[in-house]
Amino acid sequence: MDDPHENPGVSKEIVELPAPTAWPLVLALGLTFTLAGLVTNPGMSILGGVLVLAGCVGWFREVLPHQHHLAVPVKVQKLEFTTIRTKIARIQVDESHRARLPVHTPSVTAGVKGGIAGGAAMIVPALLYGLIRYHSIWYAVNLLGGAGVAGWSNPTAAELTHFRLSALIFATIIHVAGSLLVGLLYGAMLPMLPRHPILLGGIIAPLLWTGVLHATLGLINPFLDERIDWWWFVASQVTFGLVAGWVVAQQTHIYTEQFLPFAARMGLETPGLMEEHDREDGPK
Amino acid sequence: MADSTLPIGGAIDLTPQSEVYGTWLEQVHDWVVTADHKKIGLMYMAYALIFLLVGGVEAILLRIQLAVPHNNFLSPEVFNRIFTMHGTTMVFLMGMPLIIGFGNYLVPLMIGARDMAFPRLNAFSFWMTSLGGLFLYYSFIGGVGLQGAGSAPDVTWWAYAPLTERAFSRGHSTDYWALALIISGFGTIGAAVNIIATTLCMRCKGMTLFRMPLLVWLNLVVAGMILITISPLTAAQIMLVIDRYLGGHFFDSQAGGSPVVWNHFFWIFGHPEVYVLVLPAFAIANEIIPVFSRKAIFGYPAMVAASVGIGLISLSVWAHHMFTVGMNSASNAFFVLSTGMVGVPTGIKIFNWLATMWGGKIRFATPMLFCNAFLIQFLFAGLTGIMLSVAPWNWQLHNSYFVVAHFHYVLVGAIVFCFPGGFYYWYPKMTGRMLDERLGKWHFWLFVVGFHMTFDFMHVPGLLGMPRSIYTYEPGRGWDGWNMIVSIGGAVQAVATLIFVYNLVHSYFKGAEAGPDPWDAWTLEWTTTSPPPAYNFASEPVVSSRRPLWDLKHPEDPDSRYE
Amino acid sequence: MSTSTIPLAHGAADHDWVLPDRGTVAMLSLIVAETAIFGIFVVAYVYYIGKSISGPLPRQVLELPIFNTVCLLSSSLTIWMAERALKKGAMGSFSLWWALTVILGGIFLGGTAREWKKLIYHDGLTISTNLFGTTFYSLVGLHASHVIVGLTMLSIVLIFALTGKLKSEHSRQVEVLSLYWHFVDAVWVAVFTVVYIIGR
Repeated sequence: MDDPHENPGVSKEIVELPAPTAWPLVLALGLTFTLAGLVTNPGMSILGGVLVLAGCVGWFREVLPHQHHLAVPVKVQKLEFTTIRTKIARIQVDESHRARLPVHTPSVTAGVKGGIAGGAAMIVPALLYGLIRYHSIWYAVNLLGGAGVAGWSNPTAAELTHFRLSALIFATIIHVAGSLLVGLLYGAMLPMLPRHPILLGGIIAPLLWTGVLHATLGLINPFLDERIDWWWFVASQVTFGLVAGWVVAQQTHIYTEQFLPFAARMGLETPGLMEEHDREDGPK
Repeated sequence: MADSTLPIGGAIDLTPQSEVYGTWLEQVHDWVVTADHKKIGLMYMAYALIFLLVGGVEAILLRIQLAVPHNNFLSPEVFNRIFTMHGTTMVFLMGMPLIIGFGNYLVPLMIGARDMAFPRLNAFSFWMTSLGGLFLYYSFIGGVGLQGAGSAPDVTWWAYAPLTERAFSRGHSTDYWALALIISGFGTIGAAVNIIATTLCMRCKGMTLFRMPLLVWLNLVVAGMILITISPLTAAQIMLVIDRYLGGHFFDSQAGGSPVVWNHFFWIFGHPEVYVLVLPAFAIANEIIPVFSRKAIFGYPAMVAASVGIGLISLSVWAHHMFTVGMNSASNAFFVLSTGMVGVPTGIKIFNWLATMWGGKIRFATPMLFCNAFLIQFLFAGLTGIMLSVAPWNWQLHNSYFVVAHFHYVLVGAIVFCFPGGFYYWYPKMTGRMLDERLGKWHFWLFVVGFHMTFDFMHVPGLLGMPRSIYTYEPGRGWDGWNMIVSIGGAVQAVATLIFVYNLVHSYFKGAEAGPDPWDAWTLEWTTTSPPPAYNFASEPVVSSRRPLWDLKHPEDPDSRYE
Repeated sequence: MSTSTIPLAHGAADHDWVLPDRGTVAMLSLIVAETAIFGIFVVAYVYYIGKSISGPLPRQVLELPIFNTVCLLSSSLTIWMAERALKKGAMGSFSLWWALTVILGGIFLGGTAREWKKLIYHDGLTISTNLFGTTFYSLVGLHASHVIVGLTMLSIVLIFALTGKLKSEHSRQVEVLSLYWHFVDAVWVAVFTVVYIIGR
């Protein structure tokens, strides 16, 4: 419907809107009255039934054979933008600053690899402990897996040094699942940390969770608590942390805000902040 | 769409704004017969706010009664009615209309549509919901309780059988409850059908599913959840009505029926309902946090996946409300694990919001303040939720004030923070005027203080063994002081809410002119005037990225280049 | 006059912007909701099988409604034939198939009525007799009420078809309505299995 006498680019159009109607309200009132009759007076239900019928018929005639419409004329002017915003001196970081949408995600495989490597390495000190202290590699296995074996309560130290298939199966499940989950967590977190990933993931984190375990295990499982030699425990955890952390750190690297200069991270928008970049842009 | 042609085209609406208003009566008539999604959305919101005040008054009455031991402020019968009505009101008459109202108002605007898919069904749904609420409140006069006087339902909002059977609940008060929820339930299902049809079938050109604003996505998920959660409630209510009117035996233990079946049916509705209420709160945070951090939302696909995941997982967790009913240990273990699993997608969301804010240029305007408080509170609420999801812990604390504190922390801490945030954010769009920022800050800080006084300290009497739903208690059990603090906190929240209401009214007349885009935002609703004309958009918009308005404002660097 | 701006055509987005039909989407959503309602009633029925304290029991009084079931299920076929005829614009054959659908639905409803009459007056089973009565009448009754609603709408369409007001441009609405009818038929399969096969 372009009108040649108007300004160029202005067009008049007709927008079709649904016409206002009271029939939905009538139908809703009817249904409510029908049910309200159950708790008040049967007369209400009869009135409700009449309203429901009226509402249905009215609504039907509203939409069929053709929906009732309200024609609203509108005037529209087409525009082409170059920009509608005052330009400000934006922070110039590098060419791909805006492109650095948070699209990098930590790699799952790195976490899995870290978990597998850490879990494998952790077996060494754990078995070593059993060998040195109790002359049996099964001691640590039974200690870990024993919790899952039904009806095996309060075993003696001698019992713990003997092979037991069910304990081995449970210990393997717990160890594999635990190693993989912590490995995934490492895969998700370590690449995001600004520096010293191996110190954080390899030493501090194992120390922290060992501390939490040490503090609470006495309450949760006192029997297990008294069987654990905490120094060996720490040693095996740190082994896990160091190996898993190292593997993950080798695998991925995610570029985060942390790698920007401090002033940029504080949100300062000043020309000259990134000198080398300004120089490229030429004189201001 | 990295190769879209530039520069970006736009259009200006030159239609004169029609300011023709008839008499007062004609204006009312306009609203009553309207099929405009914006007017219906506003009516939903106004209705919800009125019932927020009503439910709030009921909460204050309850807290006055419980502030000191051996109090006689309310009689035991009135206390039962008031807390039944408080729960029912807040969930069905405040929460549901509020989320549907926001969805109604915003979804068509955000996807560039002129109206909902079924405008008349929309009006019908609103009238059903509202008439259901009015019908429920009519029970105060017409309920005909034990003494033949009018009375409201008093069977708690979860209405456990067999308390609701004819033999134990005489008169019509329980019938009012069941029938009112059936009526408003039909309205809710109608609204959900409409929102699904609108999002799937009314999107403007270029608005693919993965370019929809997250608010629209979440409303779609919520509408889907409503279909499969409100319907079981309606079915269970129909069974209850059959029991009460036709002498059926669904929940009648004398004839072999099982009250536990009611528990299951109710919570199959009841737990997903929590997510139905809280996901729209997330939706609002999804829109506000990026705009006030000046960054695109972090991890859009993960947010969508997490929302859908929450929707699916939440359907399989209901029986964690029933650990003390005496299920077998396999069921207990299943529901412990599934409940724990809901924490995963929820955690993804919280991390994504934090990552959105990280490195952003944060503006602490009132909407953002509310969303930030929501983040912290929702985290705490989630933590107590994980505590309660562990069956042995739950056996200790079930039906104690710890549980009451937990779910109020979820519902108030999330919904009653996000939705006011949403009001501060979209009020300029709805009315054309800004809400007063100074009053907004007062509202926010008073509400934060009141909220934490009430609900932080409410955990303590729960841990000390105070059961929920009790009418009064004896002194010297260590509960006295805590209850007083909780009640004072409730009063502070009431003052904050009154400031909010005053702000809504005051700013409508005296607020600063907002203009079409006061927050420098990026979604389609800000491209049209405030308030939008009846036809929303003079010419239908075409989008090529998730932030169409960013593209328009930055033709030199549009999002469509990167998506 | 407003100064707000609306993003407009890019050219690139102009090609084929096809969205699903809103009537179909709405009907499918409604079917999901209805399925949930029926699901709850079916679960209640299954849970209460054999829990009745007093008689009569399903084995004593229920007879397999084979003829009814055949009628209802074949009406799905006839409504599909009617739809096809409408798309081709063959109004005479549409009316014929559509009328056949209404008749088949009517036979089903009549059969249910006869069954209930026998149960109530001959066997003395009402909704308040025992748990079986409660669950049976509410589940079968819920389905029957859906059949009634469906038949009413089908009959209205039939009247319009016979008076010549229905044109092939209405085939979309008719399709949505037949979707509902298919759903009612499918629910009967579930109800039949639960009530007459598992529960008997």
